[in-house]
This record gives sequence, structure tokens and C-alpha cells, in this order.
Amino acid sequence: MDSLSNPPSMSNADMATTEAKISPPSRSASSNANVTKRLQTELMNLMMSSTPGISAFPNDENLLKWTATIDGPADTPYAGLSFKLSFDFPTTYPLTPPTVLFKTPIYHPNIDFSGRICLDILKDKWSAIYNVQSVLLSLQSLLGEPNNSSPLNGQAAELWDSDPAEYQRLVLARHRDDEETEL
Amino acid sequence: MDHQSLVFASVFPVPALSHTTPTPISTPELGFTAPGQSFGGPFGGASAGGQHREVKRNLAWSTATRFLSLPKLPYDEGHLGAGVVHIHKGKDVVDALEYLLVGEGQGEEGKEESLVDWYTNEVRIHFVSYVHPALRSIWDNEIACQNAWGALEETQQILQQVQQLYLQPFNSHILPILEHESANTTSSTIRLDTTAEDQHMFASWKFQRDLHGLFAHALPPQRFSKTLSYVLYNAGCRLFRVYVDNGLGFVGGDVLDDVPKLRESILQLLRGLQSVGLGEEQAQKAFAHAMDKLMGSFIVSHYMKVDWFSRKPIINHLRQWVKDGFSPLVRQVMEVLADEPHSVQASDVQQWQDMAIGRLGRARVENLFDFIINWDKSLGAILDIKEYLKMPGAKVNLSNSFSHQVSRRLLHAGATTTFILNVYIYVIRAFNELEPNGVLLERAARPIRRYLKGREDTARIVISSLLTDVEDENAAKFGPTSEISHEIAAEMQKPIASFAQEQDDDLNWSDMNWQPHPMDASPDYRKSKVEDVIWFLLTLYDREDFINELKQILGDYLLRGHDPEYEKETRLLELIKLRLGDDKLQACEVMLRDVLESNRINASINGEKKPDEPAKPVPITPSPHTPSTNQAQPRTPAAPQARYPAPITPIAALTKKPPADHTLNAQILSSFFWPPLREDNFHVPAPIATLQREYEARFERVKGMRKLRWLPSLGRTKIELHLTDRTVEAEVQTWQASVIYAFQQPLPSSPPPANRRGHTLNSKDQGESRTVPQLVEMLEMDDALVRNALVFWVGMGVLQEVQPDVYAVLETLPKPSAADITATDTAGNPTTSTAVVAAAAAAAAAELQPSGVVSTTEQLAQNKPLYRQFVVGMLTNQGNMPPARVLMMLKMVVPGGFPYGVEEVRALLEELVEEGKVGGVGDVFGVRK
Repeated sequence: MDSLSNPPSMSNADMATTEAKISPPSRSASSNANVTKRLQTELMNLMMSSTPGISAFPNDENLLKWTATIDGPADTPYAGLSFKLSFDFPTTYPLTPPTVLFKTPIYHPNIDFSGRICLDILKDKWSAIYNVQSVLLSLQSLLGEPNNSSPLNGQAAELWDSDPAEYQRLVLARHRDDEETEL
Repeated sequence: MDHQSLVFASVFPVPALSHTTPTPISTPELGFTAPGQSFGGPFGGASAGGQHREVKRNLAWSTATRFLSLPKLPYDEGHLGAGVVHIHKGKDVVDALEYLLVGEGQGEEGKEESLVDWYTNEVRIHFVSYVHPALRSIWDNEIACQNAWGALEETQQILQQVQQLYLQPFNSHILPILEHESANTTSSTIRLDTTAEDQHMFASWKFQRDLHGLFAHALPPQRFSKTLSYVLYNAGCRLFRVYVDNGLGFVGGDVLDDVPKLRESILQLLRGLQSVGLGEEQAQKAFAHAMDKLMGSFIVSHYMKVDWFSRKPIINHLRQWVKDGFSPLVRQVMEVLADEPHSVQASDVQQWQDMAIGRLGRARVENLFDFIINWDKSLGAILDIKEYLKMPGAKVNLSNSFSHQVSRRLLHAGATTTFILNVYIYVIRAFNELEPNGVLLERAARPIRRYLKGREDTARIVISSLLTDVEDENAAKFGPTSEISHEIAAEMQKPIASFAQEQDDDLNWSDMNWQPHPMDASPDYRKSKVEDVIWFLLTLYDREDFINELKQILGDYLLRGHDPEYEKETRLLELIKLRLGDDKLQACEVMLRDVLESNRINASINGEKKPDEPAKPVPITPSPHTPSTNQAQPRTPAAPQARYPAPITPIAALTKKPPADHTLNAQILSSFFWPPLREDNFHVPAPIATLQREYEARFERVKGMRKLRWLPSLGRTKIELHLTDRTVEAEVQTWQASVIYAFQQPLPSSPPPANRRGHTLNSKDQGESRTVPQLVEMLEMDDALVRNALVFWVGMGVLQEVQPDVYAVLETLPKPSAADITATDTAGNPTTSTAVVAAAAAAAAAELQPSGVVSTTEQLAQNKPLYRQFVVGMLTNQGNMPPARVLMMLKMVVPGGFPYGVEEVRALLEELVEEGKVGGVGDVFGVRK
């Protein structure tokens, strides 16, 4: 889990910069095709590996917007809950990270009330070797192991250590299930 | 007027009997005396002269009108025109006429009726009362076509006569006076010359005009022009020998052959009509109408025939006709009708020709589909249409009409794909002739292409046809219902112009021959420089799709190939490469090399084994392999041997009975490049397994520790079965051979007693028997495959099904006589029916023979786990959706596409519902949490 949320940054960072230099600035059409190709591969891998607790799928044919689902890890305040996220891939993906937002309201030290996430690998530590699956796994582990040193939600960071019961209550109070009817 | 009154009148001028004179002659009005004047004085003032004139005019009027009035006789041909001459034109009459017409008695403008007016009126009344009824008897009812000519003639005669009747008094009595007067005036006053001259001309012209107006009015205008136009049309038909199939025949059909006479008589009639004022505009209109129709009929009658043999267009002939046949007639008729020399302008002729071509073209276009089907015997017709395309609007008409025809006659379930493909090829060829730049073709072919794309078997047929050799296949294969299109196969033989691929000509700045696209081209128009039918077919699909399909079919061909050199396949692959480009066909090349290489390896391995034996590669059992591990990236530049990705698995061949000298040949395939192959696994007969191991060992030695993975089900083998009364030789598939071999092997364990009971039923003719479960167990073979093989052997007459699921070897064939004669075999052994069933089963088995390459349905089963993942992932993240949307998403996101329809998706969803992973309400499915 550690390695996922805090990957060894050295080699990855190197790689990202090198590739950034190589990539030609223009020719958006071909780069678009590359993004699509890459995303298709990722989707295929995701489908084939079928890691329990995480799942993602494109919204439409252009593949640049996905919706993902994370199940809260057991033995955390989030156990039994599931969260929807949106992925928005830039055309420069995988050289730049996707924009990831929590769509389901969530109470968490590193996630603000609009669903924005403070996670290094989605910001400056991003590397082209990450993919949807690794991002989702990182986020899943982030639920269990928040980084309380740089919180977006100060109250949550405080409560995490001081009052787990209250924290749990707030998590459940904030969580909303999908409006979608159960079938 | 009777004679008596005429006499009386000549002595005592009395008012005309038919007219009352407004003022009595005996008591002239003297006027009143003005106040202050002497009463009754002889010079009663200025008015006296006027009064005097009034009286005189009345007298003259009376005389003149009496003289001029027309005979009051009902119209009757015999008498008409006779009555007038009897009236004596006395001095008094002449005076009266002169007085009224040119003298003081001339009607004052707007106040008094002039004599000419009166006469016109008189004529009118006469016409209405006496002549009109006669005309009405002709015109009141619809004129039958046969009588049209007669009616016109009769009308014309009547009118001519009455016209004469009316004109005669006018011309002989009124006009000379007017003329005389104008002559006088001319001599005296030069100044008035023109006016006077005009005046009498005007009077004459006006009278005639009134008369003609009267005549024209007397006839129902529409009926008249219809009749006239029919007569003209009919005459035209006869002149030009148009065959009209209206069942009415011709008027006076016997004159059919005398063209000059006919022409003269029609002109005569027209002249007559013209002279009584029925010509002019109305007749011209009717004539135009007739000619219009005539042209249509003429084209239908003479030019609809397509010259299937000389393949020449008939447009030129049509042009000729318009110029030399049609327009002279128009000119002649117009000369008559317009009363003036009428010259046909060159531009008019041109216009008529265009009209004619337009009509011919439209008629041709209506049958375009037939011409296409009969291409290229229909070349003449196509060339006609080509000419027609120069007309404005023709292209639109053509593409509309053609796509209508195509959708009605071609693009429906009743047409086989082969047929549609053939028609498509004809369309390409024919349209290429029609319009070489291809815009029209693109438009016309779009529906066909769209439809072909929708057909499942299109790609298969195209490619198998491409792989078929026209020359050595027997012609029977190319029926309309077969899977092979002869046209495509033939097309493949043609030399290929180099297929410059994907070059964007518009970006080639140095192309000095660049031309803009035709202005009616659609945005995705691409200029095809060559008429390359194959190109059109290959562009039906995305190149990738096509190559995938090609791989499938080529793989099947190669695995089945009997020719050890694979000459045909090599050649065809080269041809396809030229068209599709080398780069994309790498996989196919590898496939071909695999099989060729395998031959070499077989030779070397088998040669090593038995150097003395001639390398006779008789029993080939090809079998592919697939990489068993997915460890290595199959193609990395580093690995020079990329063609043989790590694990290679060939399969062995088996030969059966004499185990001594059989040879095993393997096909070593690079699984990465091959389409998915059938992977059923089962136990091959022990001797073969030994051979396989030996082969494997040698191969590993030759090929540096490469592993083989055997795909037993793809092999073929030659076997010989020695039965009690016969020997059966056959070349069969490995799984079939394995099944029959299993009858020779001892049963592994003590067979369950239930199976034994089967034997008790057997007659002494029967050998070993096995049940289906036994075989499945022994061979570890798929149940379906076992049954398939059993059916095959039953069909071959080697096995028979003695009980359901129990098969026994038929050691001796039942005697045919015994089988045929009923009730001979009372043992209840249903030999006869068995034989029949067996024959049917054999046929079925032949169809069932699975090909080496996995079909799409089988792929569905294979890929189901993947698809299920996709569906679950989709429903988890995107929420609930109906199957149609699931299908759409699958098509978009599954790599390589999702070749199935909504039915398969629904089945998949139902399956998931049963497993509880998914819930469904109505038509909407969602993940169950």
C-alpha cells in the first residue's frame, strides 16, 4: 500500500521528464489517438485483472472521461461504503495526470467538500507509469491511511486521531448513496 | 323570305320583314317649334336637316338590312349558300348601302349602329340559330378517337360553308363600296390615303375576326383542342410508324402506308381549320401537345429496345430523327397554322433533341437496374444514359431512381450476398462507363455498400472469392447461391495498376496534374484513378477488419491445404499485398511462411529419422500450436526469431493401423500471428503420442530448445481400418481417427454392467462397442466432438448406433438384399433404417466438420468472461442501462470490436442475473450491490 500511495519518486520522475521532452507539442490528432489507445489498453487490463473493490469504465466513446467506483476498505471508517469518482484525461495523458474527483460526498482529511483530492501522485509526483488501476488503488489506500500532515479538511485530520467514533459518525453522515434505484 | 314578299317588296319598298324600322316612313318627325318662332314654317330651323337625315337613314337602313339579311333556313348542307343569290340587288339597295356605308348615313361613332355592325350581328344570330345546332350534334358528346378525324373534317366543312355564306354578301356588297370609297379618297386626298385604305381593310379584318371568334366559341374549346391534338398525334404516329398499344387502332388504318398522302391530308385538314379560324394559337397549342406526346410515343416505340448485340448507343439515331423527321413536320404544320413562313431554328432543333434525349434517358434510367444486371451486353443503353447525363438534373434523377430500384430489387433478405456483390461489381463497371470521375458511382453505390457492410458474410465471401482460382475451380461452384463470387475471383486475375495507398493527393504540392474534385462530389469523395473493382471491395470495410477476416480465412485455407507448395495461396497473398500494402499483411505472410517452413522442418526431422525412406509427405497432419505462456512480448526487435514466439506447438499426424511405418508431419505455427485456433484437447492414440514425443525431441534439438504445444484437434490423418469383410481407407481429422481408434483399445476399467447389456443385443456381426461417456472418459474429449466423430463414422458405415449413445463397430456390412426386403430380418435389427439414417448423418457430419479456425460464435463463448467483465464494469460505474446501450458501449470499448448483436448482450445479461451479479427490471439492468 505504501508503495502505491508514496511511490519511489526517483525513477518515475526521470521517466516523466524524458518522455515529456520527446513528445512533440503539436499534432494533437495523433496524440489523441495515442491517448485513446493507451486508455483502451488500460481498460482492457483493468477488465482482465478485475481487482476487487475497484472498477472503472469510460462514459462514452471518446474514452477521455471515465467513471470509477471504489469500495471503502474493510477495517476503516469507510468499510461498506462505495464511492464514485470521475476521471478526466487530458490529451497529453499519460504525460500529465488525469483530473480525479470524488463524485460521492466524502468526509476525509485529504479530500475537500467538492471532492478534490490532495494526493501527490495526482499532482507533482505523477508519472507515466501510473494508470487508472494504480491511481484507484492509491486512492483506496488513502481512505485507510490519510496523510494528516497536509489536510484539506482540518477537522477531519484532527478527529481521525482524537475521536474515531465522531469521525465515523461524520463519515456516515456525509456519505450519500447513489440515487440510482436498486435493481 | 318567300318569293311573294320579294316581289312585293321590289315594288313597294317596305321594311324588311324581319326588321321593324324604328321610324314610320309616312310620318316623319318634324320636330318642335321653338318658342317665339312661327309655327310650322317651311324653314323650321337647323334641326330640320337632321330630321331629314334620320328619315332617310331609316329608309336606307331598312332597305339594306332587308337585302343583306340571311336566309332563315336551318342548316342543311344541300341548301346552304343557295338562298342568297336570288335576291335582286336593285338600285335602291345600292343607294342605301352606299348611303349607309360611305355616305351621310354612316353611323356616328358611338351613337348609331353601323351597317357592318348590324351585319355582324345578323351573322351571329344566324349562326347561333341555324348552324350551331349542327355543330353541337357533333361536339356535344365526347368524340371517340376513331371519329376524331371525321368530326374535325365535318366541322371544318360546315364552318367553311357558312363562312362562305356569311362572307359572300359582305365581300360582294359591302366591301366594294368601302373599297371604292377609299379609292376615291385616295385620289382626292393623298394625306388620307393610308387611313382610308386601312379602314376598309380593317372592316374586313374585323368582320373576319368576329366571325372566327364566333366559330371558335361555338365549339367546346377543350374538347376541340383535345380532339385536334389527338388527330395530330395519331397522324404523327402513322407518319413515323409508331406502334401505340392502346388497343384502339388507327383512324383509317388502311392508309397506313401512304406517308406522303397522309402528310398531305393532314396538312389539308389543318389548312381548312386555319381558314375558318380554328387555327392560330389554339391549334398551335394542340399541335404542341400532340408533338410532345408523339415524341414520347416515338421514343417508347422505336428506341426502348436495347441493342444487346452491337452494344451501340442509339442516341445518334434519335438525334437524326429529330432533325430529319420531327422538325420538318413541325415546320410544315406551323407554316399552315401560323399563316406565315415558319423556319425552324437550329436552336429549336437542338432543344427538341435535348428533350428527346431527356425522355429517352429517363426511360432508360427507369430500367437501369436491369441494364446493370445485364452488364456488359447493355453497354448501348448505358451509353445512352451517359449522353442523357449531360442534361440538367439528370444526375439527381438517376441517383434517386437508381437507389430506389436498388432498394426495391436488390437490398433485401431474398438476395444472396454473392448476388449483391456481383451486382455491386457490375454497378462499379457500368458507372465507371457512365461517369469516369466516380461521383455518381459513389452516390449510387452508397446504399449498396452500407447494406453489404451490414451483412455478416460479406467479408467472408469477398475473401474466399479472392482466394479462389477461377481457372481451376469447376464452374458449378459459382452459382448465384454459392458462397463464391465468380466476378470477384475473375477480377482478381486482372493485372493490377499499382495501388497507391492513402496518399493524400491534395497535399502533394508538386502534382502538376492536380485537379479539383468535381463540383458535385461529396466531402468524402476520393478520386479513384483506376477502375479497380477489388479496391472498391476492399474499402468496404476498414482495412484492419478486412485483414482480420483475411487471416481467419487464409488460416483455414492453409491448414486445409493439400498442396505442399501452397502456390496458390502465395500468389494470392502477393496480389492482396499489392492492393492492401505490405505492412498490414505481415501476419498473413508469417502464416504462409509457417506452413512452408513446417514442410522443411518435417522433411529434415523425418529424414533424420529414416534417411533411407523417400521423403514422401503423404499423411500430413497439420496442427497449430499457440503459445502456452504469454511470457514474452511476441515481437521485439531484439528477438531475431520473432516469427516463432517462444512456445510453438505443432500437432502430430496420425496414421493408424500398421503402426510400423507411419510418418508424423507437423505444422509449426507462430501462434501470435494466427487467428484463434481450435484448442480442444484429447488423447491421441498411443502410437501417435509416441511419435509426437519423438518429433518434439528432435525439434527441440533442431530449434534450440523451443517447445512445441500440440493442438491435436487440427490434424489430419490417413487411416486404414481392417474389418472382417472389408478394409476402409480414409483421410480424416485427428479427432475422428482418435475416436475410431478408441474402439480398438481395451476399455480402461471393467465396463459398467449397464453398457454390457448393449452387447447382448448385438448380432454376431458386431464388434466392439463403446458408449459415449466411455469415449469421453477415455479420450478426455469434448462430448460434442465425440458425438460428431461418431456420427461421421456411422456415416462412413464403420459404426452403428445399437442403442442410444451406444455405438458398435460394424464388422460385416449387412447384406443389401436382406436390408431391402422387408421382414426378412425379424430380429428387429433396424438395418435399413440405420443405413438411411447413416446416410443422412454423413451429410450432416460433413456440414458439421469444424474448421480449424474458431468461428465468431465460438469466439463468443471463449471471450465470454472478458465480455462479462466489461458488462459488470460498465454497469458498476455507469449505472443501470438497457441492453441496447450496453451493446453500444461494448462495441466502442471492447478491443477489436464486439461483433454481436443485442440478443447476445441480453443473453449475457440474463446469465449475470441468474448468477445474482446483476439485477434487471424490465429492460434495464444494473449491478446488484
